[in-house]
Amino acid sequence: MIANILDGIVLGLQFGLLAAGLTLVYGLGGVLNLAYGQMAVLSAIATLFAIDAGVPTLPAVGVGLAVGVLLGLIFDQTILRPIYRIQGEARVLLSLLLTLGVAFIVDGYLTWRYPTEGLSIRIGGGPIDILGVPMRRGSIVASVITLLALGALFAFFRGTTLGRAVRSVIEDEEGARLVGIDPRRMLRVILALSGFLAALVAITQSMVRPVTVTAGFGITVFALIVTVVGGLGSVTGAMFAGIILGMVNNIAASYIGTFLSLLILLGAAALTILIRPSGLLGVKE
Amino acid sequence: MILEVRGLAAGYQGSDVIRAIDFHVDAGEAVMIIGSNGAGKTTLFRSMLGLLPASSGQVRFQGSEIVGMPAQRIARLGISFVPAERHLFPRMTVLENLYLGAYPDRPDPETDDMVMDLFPRLAERRRQHAGTLSGGEQQMLAMGRALMGKPRLLVLDEPTTGLAPKLAAEAYQALDVLRGKGLTVLVAEQQVPLAMAFSDRGYVMENGVFELEGSSEELANNPQVRRSYLGVT
Repeated sequence: MIANILDGIVLGLQFGLLAAGLTLVYGLGGVLNLAYGQMAVLSAIATLFAIDAGVPTLPAVGVGLAVGVLLGLIFDQTILRPIYRIQGEARVLLSLLLTLGVAFIVDGYLTWRYPTEGLSIRIGGGPIDILGVPMRRGSIVASVITLLALGALFAFFRGTTLGRAVRSVIEDEEGARLVGIDPRRMLRVILALSGFLAALVAITQSMVRPVTVTAGFGITVFALIVTVVGGLGSVTGAMFAGIILGMVNNIAASYIGTFLSLLILLGAAALTILIRPSGLLGVKE
Repeated sequence: MILEVRGLAAGYQGSDVIRAIDFHVDAGEAVMIIGSNGAGKTTLFRSMLGLLPASSGQVRFQGSEIVGMPAQRIARLGISFVPAERHLFPRMTVLENLYLGAYPDRPDPETDDMVMDLFPRLAERRRQHAGTLSGGEQQMLAMGRALMGKPRLLVLDEPTTGLAPKLAAEAYQALDVLRGKGLTVLVAEQQVPLAMAFSDRGYVMENGVFELEGSSEELANNPQVRRSYLGVT
């Protein structure tokens, strides 16, 4: 049980970080990016190719993260351009359709071209005992990286002018413009950050289990569930929801079965929509 | 002349709410635009400041044309706008709201001190979320945030909206202090007596056009203004 909870927290933090990348783009731009998982997979594959080409692991991870950032920026400059011109609900719908299209194309290409590839970063050494539970080193390294990233993310939003400017656009776009903040520029920053987070989660995941070319939709679905439960536009909510759902997922997987854990997660999302449509910490509209 | 507006027209869905607006504000002046609800004061400000596209006309600020510029660029040129709805950042602290007013620069300590002296309540509540403030405090914060950007021109749309008479008077006391420091102020107001006591000159807006203009003293003695806006029969 303790092992499940610990593993669940590790997984949950990653869920949370993953969802943060999705929820921020929604909160800021009213865009839901269904190709988010494919961004993560492409970054993982880039890392894999770098490693296969003989690049040492650490720089190869750097390549993967850079690809994530680049993908975010490319998204911002290409597919999201027509979306930004539309206001309100139509914008969300158009973003769903266009990014879903991109997701299918990327997914199809990857499974056709590299059907058996998968990124798996192995971290050597035996397990380490934590609270009497032997934890794999890969899990521990992944958790430490995730925690550091979370800390950095909060420091960015609370402590830097740019981070505050991004939050101000989520809070009140007109207010932000009145103090001289360009919402469009903030959105570009956030898409780069979103790509970075997708890449980071894919890479840390690969330290625990392989990230295959077909993992994209699964990643998007997890991120969406966590986002819905945590509340659209709330990073703190995404973290809470991530940890709760991570534990639920692991406990359900070990006592009931993996095949049902996804159903239980979806159930949690549905229940949240029924009871608290704005999510745990979402903004009420 | 710090601000010059010529032939400005703007509106929604193709029909102009305001038409042929001409006016100016000189450096150091306090100018009011009075008019009843729906006269077009807010539309005028929004179109002047890049929040609503103007259908025709010119707006010059310190000699350069600003019509067609996005609001964020106009803000950085040195016009701070305090809208009637305030548009604060509710889940950010008072301090964060103020600091964002200085964006993209770091807040200037002197301006920070000046704002805190002007509105001691904000200093008391610096760590509180803006959304938890009372209406009067929110108005102070909106004004404080606008001042943090060290504007050349402060534009306020009905700063007394939703405020009790005592707080409304306090808002104008603060504006008086700012004028004493040489700030140029343009204010739209329905609470005419307060605005009249504060400003040097004014314009009367009705149905999207300026009907009258003059010094505040002239307007205060105008029978039509007395009847419509000062409640004197």
